[in-house]
Order: sequence, then C-alpha cells, then structure tokens
Amino acid sequence: GPSSPSGELMDLIRTEGQRMTAAQPSETTVGNMVRRVLKVIREEYGRLHGRSEESDQQESLHKLLTSGGLSEDFRTPYPSLRANVIEAINEMLIELEGTTDNIAMQALEHIHSNEVIMTIGYSRTVEAFLKEAARKRKFQVIVAECAPFCQGHEMAVRLSKENIETTVMSDAAIFAVMSRVNKVIIGTKTILANGALIAVSGTHTLALAAKHHSTPLIVCAPMFKLSPQFPNEEDSFHKFVSPQEVLPFTEGEILAKINVHCPVFDYVPPELITLFISNIGGNAPSYIYRLMSELYHPDDYEL
Amino acid sequence: CLSDLIETFRAQLRDDPDVASAVAAIRALLGFLKQDRGETIQGLRNSLRDAIDTLSRVDSSVAVSSGGELFLRFISLTSLEYSDYSKCKEIMIERGEIFLRKVSLSRNKIAKLCHPFIRDGARILTHAYSRVVLRVLEAAVESKKRFSVYVTESQPDQAGQQKMARALRKLNIPVTVILDAAVGYIMEKVDLVLVGAEGVVESGGIINKIGTNQIAVCAKAQNKPFYVVAESFKFVRLFPLNQQDVPDRFKYKADTLKTGQNLTEEHPWIDYTSPSLITLLFTDLGVLTPSAVSDELIKLYL
Repeated sequence: GPSSPSGELMDLIRTEGQRMTAAQPSETTVGNMVRRVLKVIREEYGRLHGRSEESDQQESLHKLLTSGGLSEDFRTPYPSLRANVIEAINEMLIELEGTTDNIAMQALEHIHSNEVIMTIGYSRTVEAFLKEAARKRKFQVIVAECAPFCQGHEMAVRLSKENIETTVMSDAAIFAVMSRVNKVIIGTKTILANGALIAVSGTHTLALAAKHHSTPLIVCAPMFKLSPQFPNEEDSFHKFVSPQEVLPFTEGEILAKINVHCPVFDYVPPELITLFISNIGGNAPSYIYRLMSELYHPDDYEL
Repeated sequence: CLSDLIETFRAQLRDDPDVASAVAAIRALLGFLKQDRGETIQGLRNSLRDAIDTLSRVDSSVAVSSGGELFLRFISLTSLEYSDYSKCKEIMIERGEIFLRKVSLSRNKIAKLCHPFIRDGARILTHAYSRVVLRVLEAAVESKKRFSVYVTESQPDQAGQQKMARALRKLNIPVTVILDAAVGYIMEKVDLVLVGAEGVVESGGIINKIGTNQIAVCAKAQNKPFYVVAESFKFVRLFPLNQQDVPDRFKYKADTLKTGQNLTEEHPWIDYTSPSLITLLFTDLGVLTPSAVSDELIKLYL
C-alpha cells in the first residue's frame, strides 16, 4: 500500500509466509524467499534511516557491548521505501533466474577427463552441471535409479542424449560399485543450517558408501535452498506418500498383514559432505552458518 | 577499592545462588568503575586489570576471567568513541547497565532455542551441575514434554549427586545418578547429551568440569549428538590444542594455587573438549556450529 510504516509491511509478509509454509511444509524454498524479502526490507529501511552499510544486523558479542539502546522498531515512514524494495526484489529475481547457469559454469573446475561420476535420481541442477562439462570433457556417469519413483531413468535418458556414457543401476548396487567411482555429485531438496541435507530417499546410503571409500561428495544446489532451520526433531521433515509405489494394491493379501511406508526424503548429516557448489561458488559445510547470516536476519528464522 | 570489590562479588554470589559467576564479576567491576576516582583511560585500565587479578584470586574459574576480559574490551571500545573522559565514563556506566540487563535474559533465550531439540520420550545425559542446563530442562517441562535424565555424580565434589539431581527432582523429572565411570555403559541407552560450559574457546571447543571430555568421546563413538549450552559472555580468547595447553590458573581452585603446592600432585577441576566432538552450541547469539564461534570472537576482538 502507500507509504505504510515498514513494520506493518513486514508483519503482512510474515503472515502470508506463515500461511504458505503451513500449506506445504516440505517446500522450504517458499519460506526462504519470504525471509529474503524481509531481509531486503530491513536493509532498505536501514539505508534510508541512515545507518552505515557495515553496521552489523546480526546479534554479536560486539553489538551486545556497544549498543546504546533497544533495537530499532521500523516506525518511521519513508515514501521511497516501496520503490527501493521493489527494485531490490527485481534484482533478486534476476539472480534467481541465473542460478542454474552460474552453477553449471563451475563444472569444468570439478570434472576431469575419464572420470566416473555417480549421481542419484533426477536433479535439474546436476543435469545442467554435467551437460556443461560434457561439452569439453569425456567422462562416464553412473545413475542410481532411486526407487520407488525411479527418476534416475529420466536422468539417464537426458544425459545420454548429450552423448554422455551413462549407466543405470539399482540402489542396492551403490556400495558395490562405489570403489570404481571418482566423485559423487548430487542435488538436494533443502540445505539445513548446520550444513546437513534433506534430499531424496536413498541419498544417505549413497553418502555413507562414499564416505567409506573416501570418495568426495559434491552437492550442487542454489542458495535459495538454504533454510535457516536446524534438524531438531528428527522426524519433522518426513513426508510420506502412498505405499502403492513400494507394494502395489494388487498384493492385497500381504498388504493386510504388514505396514508399508514410502518416505520421500532422507537426512544426510554434514560430516558426509565434502563441498557445496552454489551460484556463489564452492563452500565447505562448516561455512554454511556464514552464508546464512548473509542471506537472512536472525529475527526472521522463525517466520 | 579492592577489598570492597571482593566483598561485592562475594555478596552477589551469596544473595543469588543462581547468578553466573561471570555476571557477578562484571557487576562488581561496574561498581568498581563507578567509584573510580582516576582521570585517564590508561589509569582506569590499569586499576581494572588489578581488580580482575584480585577477583581471579578469589575465584579462579574460566568464567570470571572471560567476564573480566569482556569488561576490559567493553571499556576499550567505548573509550574509542568518546575522547572526553567524563562523558566517556557516563556512557560506560549507562552501557554497562544495559549490558547487564540484556545478559540476565540470556538463559531464557537459550532455553527457548534449545528445548525444541528435546523430543518427547527422550533420555538425556548431563554432567555435574549446570544452571543453564537446568533452565533448558525447565523450559522443556513447561512445554509439556516427558523425558528422563541421567546425571553423572561428578566427583570430587559430587555436584551432580548433591545439587543437580536434587534440583531435577524438584521439577518432577525422573533422574538417575550414575557413576562417572558408568558413562560408557549408559551411552547406548541415551538419546542425546546436554552439558553446560565454564568457558567456550576460540576453536569452538569448551572448558568444563572434569569428565566432560570423556563423555564427549563416548558420545562420538556411539553417534549420539553432543549439545553444549552456554551464554555468550563465556566466550574466551584461548586456543588450547590439547589438555596441557589449558593454563594452570584455570585448572585448580584459587586456594590451591595460592598455597604453591606441587601442582602435579593435584587433581585438575576442568578439562578441554575439542570442537570435533561437539554437535551444536546453543548460545544467546543463536544456535552455532563450533566453526561459527571463532567468527563471533573475531568480530569482537579485532
């Protein structure tokens, strides 16, 4: 609306964000984008209020010792705030559209000739990454099919169209084949604040096998997947879908006697990951906390 | 004057057994600052250094040392902004009061961050007596979670048996006191380990009551999460690489250090736990991974 105080604007956005995340909790990117917008508003407000760029928005020991009073309360209306925020959001949109290309551009640094790369399921980011490297290098890809939805099949078809030598294998063979693999490159659904992943079911197995063989595990994911949540209740991120995929309803006799689960996601702890490749470059999992503080404001972690 | 300082410090610890020793030290130092009759910053810093040394001779814990260092840093930062001494002193006193007010809320902030990590039906292992851990468990009880706690009895002063178990029973939490030696035995039954800290060092490791390192090693071996809860004023500028690197003045009680006995015959009261064994640290600055701790310290001291 017209020059309404920024505090009201932020409350509005926060309420909408809560509604959207409650509708589908597993789609964490929705919440992440709402938090990015809130941070943009805080920054633009701060800039208009006359605060210097360096002044830290985060809680820190330094701020505890030097602050003279309470934190600001966004009460002063600034008519130009709306235009500034809209411009900043447009910049963000441009950045978002370019993420897959930014990640793919880094492919040549990580993939070398005659390497054997393993991946699991279907990830658009990994597909772009491998295709970009295939333009200049010759390598092989082994795709784990990722039962029960078997999206690995689609990945293999797309990769082979670019003349990349692709092999599909079942998830059970991951450990057996791992000794021949040079690198594991995967995508993910969400990156958590401690550097852990929420990825398709089967990724944890892949990560453990890679750790056992000391094979580097590289995660290609854009920064909008970074979510400021910690894995507190281990079951909270789980999403279960119809067990039809695991055991079809035609097997009615058996179905009556057993419980069948079909979880969609897996939790992968940060110790198993070697590198995150995102649109801002490559980072170690222990550095994720820093990236988070650049993207989001601590008061927005809980929407 | 120095004897008044010691008296203020002791009085605070007597009147409020719940207050953290670092906070009591900072409050006493602020009182000392108010009474200081010096005219220069340099003079003020020198008399404060003497005051901190005196306090360390009363209570040799890491927390008092880190509280003192923080106060000195606070003085330096404020004095850089104002060149006029009397104005500077006014601002220091005002900011000091604000800081103490904020810091008194830190335990509640930590409890709010940490209690979601305790699931319903969890079995928690904790070590010795920590008021922050107690506050976290209180918050978990308030949010209607049911859990049980194993406490180590924590020799040589039996702090776990005497103080922690008693306080937990008052909150109606099922408690089992175990021998320090039984940690390896009990670890398979435990869901998470939650300890406090006397000091958090630059590498992200912690200094805490003797026995903490053992618990951390057992937890790592059995893949159990090891959580540390500590307020931010416990961050200290040390970087020990092993147990020997921790200065002797923290390892032993102030009275033992004064008698000048052969320290190799004495049992240390604290040990150092390395950051590779710690899963997460809960502080009033937020939930931090051990690598984030050094960032916080750099932001403050450099």
